[in-house]
Amino acid sequence: MTSACHRKCVPPHYKEAELSKGESVCLDRCVSKYLDIHERMGKKLTELSMQDEELMKRVQQSAGPV
Amino acid sequence: MDAQILESNQIKHFKEFLGTYSKFIETCFLDCTTCSEHCLQKYLKMIQQISMRFQEYHIQQNEALGAKTGLLGQP
Repeated sequence: MTSACHRKCVPPHYKEAELSKGESVCLDRCVSKYLDIHERMGKKLTELSMQDEELMKRVQQSAGPV
Repeated sequence: MDAQILESNQIKHFKEFLGTYSKFIETCFLDCTTCSEHCLQKYLKMIQQISMRFQEYHIQQNEALGAKTGLLGQP
C-alpha cells in the first residue's frame, strides 16, 4: 500500500522536505480507497470460494457413493 | 511459547521495515542527485501519515465489530 500510494501521490520532484497539502490529502484518500478495495475484494473472494465449495459438494452428492 | 511468537513477530516487523526502507532508498537514489535529503524526509513523513490512517481505520473497524458483537451478545 505504501509504495502504491507513493507512486500515485508523490511526484518525484523533492524540492521540499515537507509533504504538500495536496500530497497529504491524496495520501489520505489513497489509503482509504486502498483499504476499501481490500475489504471488498476479500468479501468477494470469500463469496466466490463458498460458491465453489457449494458446487463441489453438489457434484459429489449427485455422483453418489462409489 | 509466547516468547517465541513475540520474537517471530518482531522479526517479521523488522523484515518488513527493512524491505520498505531499502525500497525507498532505491527510489530516492534513482530520482535524486542533490535532493536525497528532502527525499528521505518526505518519505518518512509519508510513511508516518499512512501508518496513522491505517491505524485509525483499524481502530474504527474494531469499534464497529465490537458494537456489532455487543448487540449480538445481548439476549
